[in-house]
Amino acid sequence: MRRGAGTTERGRRPPLLRPVSLATRRRRAGYLFSLPGLVFLALVLAYPLLYNVWTSVHDVHLKELLGGSSPFVGLDNYRTTLDDPDFWHAVRLSLVFTAGSLLFQFTIGFALALLFARPFPFNGLLRSLLLVAWLLPPVVSGTLFRWMLDQDAGAYNALLRAVGPDSLAHDWLIDPGTALAGVVFANVWVGVPFNMLLLLVGLHTIDPELHEAAALDGANAWQRFRWITVPLMRPVSVTVLLLGLVYTFKVFDIIFVMTGGGPVDATSVLSLYVYEIFFKFFRFGEGAAAGLLLLLVPLLAGAWYVRRLRGEGDAA
Amino acid sequence: MSHPVDRRGFLRAAGAGAAGLGLGSALAGCGSDKQSGTVTLTWWDYFTLDNFRPAFDRLIKDIEAQVPGVRIERRTFPFADLERQITLGAVSGDLPDIAIVDNVSMNSLAGSGLLADLTERVEDWGQADQYYKGPWDGCQVGGKNLGIPNNSNCLALYYNLRMLDSAGVRPPTTWDQLADTAQRLTSGERFGLAMSAIRTEEGVFQFLPFLWQAGGDLDTFATYGATALAFLDDLVAKGSLSEQCVGWTQQDVNTRFVNGRAAMQINGPWQLPTIKKTDVEYGVVALPRDKESATCLGGENWVVMASSDHQDKAWEVLEYTQRPSVLVPFLVALGNLPARKDLADTGTWASDPALRLFLSQLPVARPRQYGPGYADASQAVAEAEQSVLTGTASPSAVAKTTATKLDKALEQR
Repeated sequence: MRRGAGTTERGRRPPLLRPVSLATRRRRAGYLFSLPGLVFLALVLAYPLLYNVWTSVHDVHLKELLGGSSPFVGLDNYRTTLDDPDFWHAVRLSLVFTAGSLLFQFTIGFALALLFARPFPFNGLLRSLLLVAWLLPPVVSGTLFRWMLDQDAGAYNALLRAVGPDSLAHDWLIDPGTALAGVVFANVWVGVPFNMLLLLVGLHTIDPELHEAAALDGANAWQRFRWITVPLMRPVSVTVLLLGLVYTFKVFDIIFVMTGGGPVDATSVLSLYVYEIFFKFFRFGEGAAAGLLLLLVPLLAGAWYVRRLRGEGDAA
Repeated sequence: MSHPVDRRGFLRAAGAGAAGLGLGSALAGCGSDKQSGTVTLTWWDYFTLDNFRPAFDRLIKDIEAQVPGVRIERRTFPFADLERQITLGAVSGDLPDIAIVDNVSMNSLAGSGLLADLTERVEDWGQADQYYKGPWDGCQVGGKNLGIPNNSNCLALYYNLRMLDSAGVRPPTTWDQLADTAQRLTSGERFGLAMSAIRTEEGVFQFLPFLWQAGGDLDTFATYGATALAFLDDLVAKGSLSEQCVGWTQQDVNTRFVNGRAAMQINGPWQLPTIKKTDVEYGVVALPRDKESATCLGGENWVVMASSDHQDKAWEVLEYTQRPSVLVPFLVALGNLPARKDLADTGTWASDPALRLFLSQLPVARPRQYGPGYADASQAVAEAEQSVLTGTASPSAVAKTTATKLDKALEQR
C-alpha cells in the first residue's frame, strides 16, 4: 500500500526537484531565516507561558514537584485567587501605584521635555545627568530612596525640617498611610527620564514653522501649546503612556527593596503578591493563576494599542 | 573576509558553552569518578560573607583529606535565595547532595519529599542524646530524622554598659523591668530598646519569644498574642521602642545599638564580631521573662537530598563534621554556637561571657516547628505585629483575626 516518496509514475518528477517560482523561493528563504528567531521565541517565551498555563490548572505544591502527581483541578486555582481578599487588595494597590506613577512621570517628563526642547547652556549635560536615574538598576535606586525617606537619617526629612516645622518630617515608608506614596515617589523618579526622552523626540518632529505661523497670527505661548503641541504630540503620548503602563504594572524590584510589601500590607502590589504565593508559600498552581491574571492588564492595553495602530494605518 | 571555523576551535567554544551551563563540570566529575573512585558531592549553603570563608575552606579541605574518596563542590547562595533555589532545583532536577539550611526551612522542605530520611543512620550512629533538645527536635518531622543540627543560636538582650551605669539601672529580667528600664534609658535621639519587627521571618523570629514568654503559642494567639502585642504597643506608645522597627532588619537593629542610638537591643550571637570591632562596652543577658522564660531557636541544619545518588557518602561527610575535633574549630572560626551539649566546655563559648550566655539559653530556645503551613502563619504574625506597632489596629482585635488565620494555616498537614 505504501507509496514510495520519490515515485515517478505518470512521469511526474520528485517534488523536491520541481521548479519553484522566485516568489516562493523567497518566501521559503524568509521562513528559513526567521526559523532561529522563532525557535528562540518558542523556547524562551511560548514554552514558559504554556507551562505556566498548565501549572495554573493543576494542583502544584512543593511535594508534587518531585515525582508526585499534580492533579488537574480546572479553574480551582483561579477561583481561589479571585476569592482571596488579599488578591483584590493587591489589584487595587497595583492600579493606584500605576495610575499615580504614570500621572507624575508623564507630566513631569512632558514639562522637562518642553524645557530641554529649547536650546540653553548646559542643556546636553543636564539632560545626560537626568538619564542616570534611568540607567541605575532599580535595586540601587530602591535602596537609595529607602535611605532618603528614612525619618532620622533621611535627606528628604532633613530638607522638610529645614524649610518648615519639625512635624513636616515623616516616616514615609513606616506609616501604612504613606508607604505607597513613598514607593510611587521613587518610581516616578526612575520613570521621568524615559518619558522625557521619548517626548523630547516627539517634540522634535513638530515642524517649527507651524509655531512661527501661529505666532504671526497672534497666538500666545499657551495657545500654541494647547492647539499645536498637544494635538501633534498625541500619538507619541499614547505610546509613552502605554509603555509606561506595561512597565509600571509589573514593577517588582523597587518596591521589594524599599518596603518588601509592608508595612502590614500597604505596598503588596500584584507582583509582590504573586511572588509571595510562589516563593514564600510554594503554592505554584495558585501563583501561576495569579501571574496570568497579572498579565491580563498589560495584555488588554497592548491589544487595544495594536488595534488602534491598525485603525490609524487604514485611515492613512 | 570569511571566517573559517576550524573543528577544534568550534569544539573548544562548544565546550566552554557547556561548562557555562554546568554540563562541563558534571561530565568532568563523572570522568574522574571512573578513574579514581572518588565521589564528587555538591554542597549548597548560604554562608556567602568573606569572613565565613576560612572556616568552610578548612572544613572542606579536612573532609577531602579524611573522608575516603570524597571531593566537595561547594556553591553558595544569598540567605534569602537558598530555599527558593532548592525549590527551583526540584523542578529542573539540579539539586545538591548535601546542604546547610536554615532550621526554619524544615517546615516547608520536610513535607516535600526532597530530604533524605536519615533515621536509620542516626540510630546506628547513636549520638542523638548529645544534642540540645530544641535543635534536635527541629530535625524530627513526622517521626523521621531529616537532618542534623550543625550549629545553633538564639536571641538574648544586649545592653550598653555605660548607658545603664549612668542611668543607675540594672539589666532587666522581667517584662515590667524591661518596660521600666527601656523608658528610663530613652532620651532625645536614643531609644531604650531596639528590635526587629520587619515583615519577614526575621521579624517573626524576634516576636515569637514574647508570645511564648506570655505563656501562649500560635494556637492560643487570640489571648496570648494580644498580651504580647499590647506589651510591645505600650513600649512604642511610651517612645521606648521606635515605631520604625517595623522596617528594621536585625542588622539595622545592631547598627542602632552600635551607634549608641539604642541602649538595649534584642539580637543574636552572630552580631558579636561586629560589636567587638567597635568600642561599645556591652553586656548580654537572657531575654526578660513574663510567665515563662523563652527565646527563639535559630541556626542551621545539615540535610541530605533524597535525590542524591551518594547518600551513604553524604552521611559519612555529615558524621565526620560532627566529630568534636572537627566541629569545635569550625564553629569557633564561624563564630557560631554548637548544638551539642558535650561541647559546652570547649571552644570560645566556654570563655567568652557573651557567647556563654547565649549557650546557656539553648535549653529554653524553641524551634519554629509548625509544619508546612508555617509560611502562612509567619506572615499572619508579621502583619499582626506591624499593624499594631504602626497604630492601624488594636492588639486585641488583631490577635482575634490573626488567630483565625493561624488556625487555618496550622491545619495544613
